Amino acid sequence: MNVSLKRIQAIFIKDYKEFSRNYAVSIMILFPIAFALLYRSEAGDQAAIYAFIMNFSLAMLTSFVQACLIAEEKERNTLRSLMMTPASMLDVLIGKSALVFLISAAVLAFSTYLFGYETSNVMLLTAALGISIVLYTAIGTICGLYSKTLLEASLSVFPVLIIFTAGPFALAFEEQYPFLEVLRYLPSSQLSELLVAMEVGAAAGELARPLVIISIWAVVLTIISFILYKKRLMDQ
Amino acid sequence: MNAISVQNIQKAFGSNVALKDVSFEIPKGEIFGFLGPSGSGKTTLLKILTAQLEATGGHAAVMEMPSGMMQKTAQKRRFGILTDNSGLYERLSIEENLDVFRRLYDLPKSSIDQVLHFVNLNADRKKRVNVLSKGMRQRVTLACAIIHEPELLFLDEPTSALDPVNTAHIHKGLRYLNERGTTIFLTTHDMTEAETLCERVAILHKGEIRAIGAPDELKKVHRDGTLTVELTSGEKERLSMNEDSAAAIAGWMSRGQIDRMYTNELSLGDIFIKLTGSELV
Ligand SMILES: Nc1ncnc2c1ncn2[C@@H]1O[C@H](COP(=O)(O)OP(=O)(O)OP(=O)(O)O)[C@@H](O)[C@H]1O
Ligand SMILES: [Mg+2]
Repeated sequence: MNVSLKRIQAIFIKDYKEFSRNYAVSIMILFPIAFALLYRSEAGDQAAIYAFIMNFSLAMLTSFVQACLIAEEKERNTLRSLMMTPASMLDVLIGKSALVFLISAAVLAFSTYLFGYETSNVMLLTAALGISIVLYTAIGTICGLYSKTLLEASLSVFPVLIIFTAGPFALAFEEQYPFLEVLRYLPSSQLSELLVAMEVGAAAGELARPLVIISIWAVVLTIISFILYKKRLMDQ
Repeated sequence: MNAISVQNIQKAFGSNVALKDVSFEIPKGEIFGFLGPSGSGKTTLLKILTAQLEATGGHAAVMEMPSGMMQKTAQKRRFGILTDNSGLYERLSIEENLDVFRRLYDLPKSSIDQVLHFVNLNADRKKRVNVLSKGMRQRVTLACAIIHEPELLFLDEPTSALDPVNTAHIHKGLRYLNERGTTIFLTTHDMTEAETLCERVAILHKGEIRAIGAPDELKKVHRDGTLTVELTSGEKERLSMNEDSAAAIAGWMSRGQIDRMYTNELSLGDIFIKLTGSELV
């Protein structure tokens, strides 16, 4: 595989500059923060509310930003120019994803702090969120690849947002509509389950299951996004 | 040694044949101009040579490698390319755009200053790309294509949006690059550019090469064999080259009646129109 740290860094720096000047996209970092402030003093199930904020933020920030970064590069023909330099497709994808990962991680951490969420197992929470960011970045890549314009990309994220954030709530109707059972396997539902399980101090085995399912999602979607990326960009 | 060698290249997009059967060679160190009406296949050929498109037939070698290899990292360092749809980062300044390329090619910071001077944009280096004029944009994309001083440079209509002063400045720069060893393959609709800059040109029409050679040679081949004599009386005589004409000329000459005398050559533009049967686009 042809990747170079220097070139990845070049893409990272460039995307950072573009991101920080593109207010329509960078404003997304305010959503998780606003939600955290809004719900911080809410009474009720802390783990469930916190899981909702995280799930919403992952789609609205991570997937959205990644999709926009990829789609814009296509729309403006800059990807074509990059492909003529020593930069490889992977350099570009990794550089972008690294930026989105870091932004997401920082914003989610800050929101967690603002919300005042306390966990018994910081390592586990960090791992679950970290893997989730990878997963939602891959979703963003896929959305970006299927969109021709920035606008299309931002719209394409909404179905993801709705299914993934509403999924855990729809599970409440599982008894009436058994087919909703499948929603249990959404990574967002699993994150929710994990947080609740951590709260009640569940056994290690019970904690491992959601983490494994989220990881499977992350691996599969990342592979799909790489394959699609290579394929979609080749024949343009 | 050839920088580019193309043998019987064909390219069809479905039933639309863009290149029928194109063969030519460009020796290392040459500035070669590719002329042809709009839609004749110039950009298509350029894309094939840089591995952005696959030919449907024939063989093309670039720097002694099959053209399909041009997307390999090691090869990509060796050439530079400017096309009409090369994109720039709108929210970055000229300087920041060039910095992306500088880093990707792993060059020192000074390369940005050099290339900015080359395209005459040093004073505007801090300007964001989204406020630039068309000609300035074109010069920034050109700068991105040459920042690494490639062995081979592909330019698709490099000066189409430029004023004469900047065109002349870019030509000077291209000649300088060429002297330092860069082979240049350019397409253009500007016959003066072709004539002043290119050592050889090819005229493409409907996917086939109709003429190839040095501009002067093409003019020789296509001259109509007549001579115009302008007399001091203001009369103009158009003569074919034969004995009668020679006698007539001798007569005028002995009486000191000849003001000017020249062979009737076609300009490159005339040849272009003659061969492609269409007006310049
Ligand atoms: N991606 C494509 N799909 C289908 N047809 C194409 C494609 N690219 C080019 N063509 C066709 O190939 C032919 C040659 O196009 P090309 O762009 O090479 O012309 P050109 O000589 O560069 O013209 P211009 O001087 O206007 O730039 C045209 O008929 C065009 O419609
Ligand atoms: Mg063209």
